[in-house]
Amino acid sequence: MNIEFFLDGKAVSAQPGQTVMDVAKANGISIPGLCGEKRISKTTSCFVCVVRDKKTGKFLPSCSARPVPGQEIEVTHPDVLEMRRTALNLLLSEHNGDCEAPCTLACPAHAAVEEYVRAAANGDFQEALRIIKERIPMPMTIGRVCPRFCEKQCRRNVDGEPVAINEFKRLAADKCYESYMEELPVSCGKHVAVVGGGPAGVAAAYYLRRLGIDATIFEMMPKAGGMTRYGIPEYRMPKDLLDKELAHLEKMGVKFEFGKKLGENLQLDELQKKYDAVIVAVGCWQASGMRCEGEELAVAGIDFLRDVIENDCHAANPGKVLVVGGGNTAMDCVRTSVRLGSPEVYCIYRRSEAEMPAEKIEIHEAKEEGVNFQFLTAPVKLEKRGDKLVLTCQKMVLGEPDASGRRKPVPEAGSDFEIEADTVIAAIGQKTAAPAGLPVNRYGCIEVGADAVTVAEKLYAAGDCVSGAATVVEGVASGRRAALAVARDLLGMPMPEEPSINVSRGKWQDLTRDELVVLRDNLSDAPREKLNYIPLTERKTTFKEVCSTMTPEQIAAEGKRCIECSCSDKHDCKLRQFAEEAGCKTDAYSGVRQAAVYDVRHPEIIQDRGKCIKCGVCVKICKEVVNKSLLSLQKRGFKSCVSTAFGVPLPDSCRECGECINACPTGALDWRKKR
Amino acid sequence: MSKIVAIKIGLASCGIAAGGEAVLAELKKATDLPVIEVGCIGHCYAEPLVEACLDDGSSVIYGNVKATEKDIQNILSLAEEGRFEIPAARKAKELVKVLALAGKISPVDFDDYTANGGYEGLKKARMMKPEEVIEEIKLSGLRGRGGGGFPTGMKWGFLAAKPGFDKTVICNADEGDPGAFMDRSLMESVPHQVLEGMLIAAYATGASRLIIYCRAEYPMAIKHLKIAIEQINAHKINCFDDRTIEISIKEGAGAFVCGEETALIASLEGQRGMPRFRPPFPTDSGYQGKPTMINNVETFGNVPIILREGGKNFASVGSEGGRGTKLFALAGDLKYPGLVEVPMGTTLREIVFEIGGADPDHVKAVQTGGPSGGCIPVEMFDTPVDYDSLRSLGAIMGSGGMIVIGNDRCMVETARYFLDFTHRESCGKCTFCRVGTTRMFEILERIVAGKGCEADLDTLEDLGKKIKAGSLCGLGQTAPNPVLATLRYYRHEYLEHVNENKCRAMQCNALVDIYINKDNCVKCKMCLRSCPVNAISDDFVVDPAVCTRCNSCLDSCPKKTIIRVAKGEAK
Repeated sequence: MNIEFFLDGKAVSAQPGQTVMDVAKANGISIPGLCGEKRISKTTSCFVCVVRDKKTGKFLPSCSARPVPGQEIEVTHPDVLEMRRTALNLLLSEHNGDCEAPCTLACPAHAAVEEYVRAAANGDFQEALRIIKERIPMPMTIGRVCPRFCEKQCRRNVDGEPVAINEFKRLAADKCYESYMEELPVSCGKHVAVVGGGPAGVAAAYYLRRLGIDATIFEMMPKAGGMTRYGIPEYRMPKDLLDKELAHLEKMGVKFEFGKKLGENLQLDELQKKYDAVIVAVGCWQASGMRCEGEELAVAGIDFLRDVIENDCHAANPGKVLVVGGGNTAMDCVRTSVRLGSPEVYCIYRRSEAEMPAEKIEIHEAKEEGVNFQFLTAPVKLEKRGDKLVLTCQKMVLGEPDASGRRKPVPEAGSDFEIEADTVIAAIGQKTAAPAGLPVNRYGCIEVGADAVTVAEKLYAAGDCVSGAATVVEGVASGRRAALAVARDLLGMPMPEEPSINVSRGKWQDLTRDELVVLRDNLSDAPREKLNYIPLTERKTTFKEVCSTMTPEQIAAEGKRCIECSCSDKHDCKLRQFAEEAGCKTDAYSGVRQAAVYDVRHPEIIQDRGKCIKCGVCVKICKEVVNKSLLSLQKRGFKSCVSTAFGVPLPDSCRECGECINACPTGALDWRKKR
Repeated sequence: MSKIVAIKIGLASCGIAAGGEAVLAELKKATDLPVIEVGCIGHCYAEPLVEACLDDGSSVIYGNVKATEKDIQNILSLAEEGRFEIPAARKAKELVKVLALAGKISPVDFDDYTANGGYEGLKKARMMKPEEVIEEIKLSGLRGRGGGGFPTGMKWGFLAAKPGFDKTVICNADEGDPGAFMDRSLMESVPHQVLEGMLIAAYATGASRLIIYCRAEYPMAIKHLKIAIEQINAHKINCFDDRTIEISIKEGAGAFVCGEETALIASLEGQRGMPRFRPPFPTDSGYQGKPTMINNVETFGNVPIILREGGKNFASVGSEGGRGTKLFALAGDLKYPGLVEVPMGTTLREIVFEIGGADPDHVKAVQTGGPSGGCIPVEMFDTPVDYDSLRSLGAIMGSGGMIVIGNDRCMVETARYFLDFTHRESCGKCTFCRVGTTRMFEILERIVAGKGCEADLDTLEDLGKKIKAGSLCGLGQTAPNPVLATLRYYRHEYLEHVNENKCRAMQCNALVDIYINKDNCVKCKMCLRSCPVNAISDDFVVDPAVCTRCNSCLDSCPKKTIIRVAKGEAK
């Protein structure tokens, strides 16, 4: 006799023995659940599958509850969804794992760091390059100039030094650039104009092409590359390599038109008429002044650098140089000045060294090359006296932290002093000069919609002109996003979003060595591989690249230092999937997490108890399906856990059938070897 | 003048804890009179208790007896000194039926029990048809004494409806509530009464297997029950016309959750004590998959009385919300802690003030139902104690724990205390119970540490409701009760903690300093000597940074001039 009842008001029929969840499924209503498994007796533990009996108001676990005739079951009522979300939020609050590795989360382009590090360390550079180029279309460039957001979050920092992640990109790109070619779909016939051939424009064109959309890059300069060409000195980014990187785009079918500047010999409305969509990625080419009297006498940092590059590094000796500013452009200016033969180079910065936005390695290398740093010094006035420039400066002291969190410098009364120089370079910052006709925000950057790239219908913007001066990797991430938005709007492709649920074990700063969870079996404790520098004299007199690419042997050794933090189950973790679908938050409830206790004594299987949700499915699978009973639930309350009897290693009688691993809804039980 | 013919000494766990064994040894040395070890009469505050039975049938009781020659001689000479009288107010309010033989007979003397009406209920039942017995139970209005309050007769009817005799009746003696000891006392003092109730149940329901699931922390109860079972077997009381009833004891390992029936059955079967989804209910599929019925110790203790006096008579005592009498373990801030038996429907006021002797000016609330229950403020003490009226106030009757909360107790701390227990005792199965109670506990810890915020109260309420709705068994379904009830009646105390960093009861250490009022100080330096961390200076100033608020100085001060004050006010 079938049982007639109602699911969200719809009359349905259950066969004897069917649960509410079974009937819902048969009627096309999917209910999430973490603890159900057809072959075992009910565990009824996760309570993610709750539904509500409308009459009694009682919540029922639908995996176990059998319908009663005439019962009205609510499946999608907001209260029901809220209960499910709370159950998932509670599970997330105790979950102690890393869905994604901290390096990948830190990378603006979300490159799959762990995966390419592993491939390159294993000598598979083609595969490494393939993985890198999923997110980073300019690995030769970024492999050299990236400020390495990833390495700053690398857990190996606990031991002193992070894995040299960027070197993996550099070697993989250097080794396989010629031989590697993407599989490209045939063109769909759509054609997009990309204005600007910098990192964002290049990335946009690259990913458009990979999505089957034709792209033409309109570049105002004689060559493409944007700031990577005209802003980064040769000794950091050899331009022949950049040419190779751009030539690859041409090989892929991307077209370039040079000497085309928006608003001058290129009109937005014409582009919009002629092309299916337009992406504006014109960058951030207007330098900020020193904001002091006589600032017009100073050369802008980016203009200085561009000048040197346009002259193939044969620019005139600038004489004694003062560079004002503390960012990477300032470092590029001081080090370029050294190479042009300047007898004395000063860097003048109004805060202390700790607050300098430039990369530590750049500051270190600049010091090695003899640059004189004047910290806590701010320019007051610049004037010309005879054929010399005189910069009046003021000493500063650090006050309270400002909005950026850095301590604000305040002038020290009566501390003025003068410095004489031949050239004064202002490397203060850059502003966007937004092309006419585009909406701008209060920073003068192009205003975009919630997806961070859409300006108007079939008009997009990406890179520095949206964000303000940023890094190459941020530029390519933005360019890729614009390409995906175009594909969404022109081809109806869903925009792939990054997973919203990323549980983290915590930042390395909050962890000790003992708290690092190492599931791989051959972690190396060797120190970070050293970079191979050219001699200092050569550095100071030529524009040769400062250090060479690591060798495959170095990379193989360095790869063994990677902890491989990400979860082995990140792509098919049901907890993560349902939590995302339910709109959960990993910080909905704060409190103690499960202890990061893990067991790698078995050669094939890991038990990562911090990720266990205590559903008990593995226990029952082993007992009722495999007939082994090797696992059991132990302890009580929050400390409940799954373990073997007496905590011994999984015994020889475990025939590694993998039933428990397949049934585990999270990464609490898994194969040791990441697949 | 009357002569002593026998001496009875209360040697249940409570009597032993109070030093009863030493008194027994001294008594045996001092006299050749028969000394009978009996159970507990429920007056914990007066233990050890010794009763001198006289030849005229009357007796004289001595309380707080010490193992000294003087106290022993007082008894043997029937001196006036040291005599114990049951407080008049308690005597007037109490109705001792279930505990009538407790402390009066030897628990392990079969003949003592039968001589006092024991096994007459069973005899009577066996002269009736099983369904007539169930009718009698239904007529009595008896409801489950374990806390749920399910009508016992109906439950028996479910099991009786199952065919055959391959059925099990289980006595739930896993009394786990902190502060509750009704079942222990009954099993220790009159084990036969519980067993008689079980045998009647077996007869009425057609069961042939009786199991007592008793926590291992009750060794004396287990010992007495074992002896009683041997006596039953020897006297063949368990041999019915068509079957012999097998009686066994299973010792539980101390998991609170095993008091829940499906977890209890899992534990009996040798599995981890975890509840499962119902249905199927145990009466359909219980122990070993066979029809099973579970009743509480006190429920079984009532059964022989019902059979003896008839269901109708039994039902004449009590109120609409519950028939018969109920045992309560009275504890907390009151004068006469102990085990009391009152008719259902007696008001909290009568129990707490008249029977318990609590000071009306000093009581804030009472917690019923232990960690699964809730608090009831003193303003509502006219509430009759029965299943339904307590539930309507957000508390539960539970198994009968009743803790009196004085004015100097913090209600947030009280809630934290109970959550500390339940969150540890969760079996870990249901997400809401395992993680949710832990999160609630953490929030309460924050609040008592002065680190809470007002939003925490909403989270507590929201999580509490969800945990109740999203848990399989009674543990999770009731664990938030102490928090929800205190939030309902004492929200102002929570708000004072989170908004003003104030604990009005001066109990939360993080919000309190210790102050020595020098006006009354006699400079005896007892406080200095008692301080374990040397927080008190030679001029009697407490360093709040060092002080652990352990109260040693308060306790040591002969002038009671050291007090707890709000943080920062020790000036």
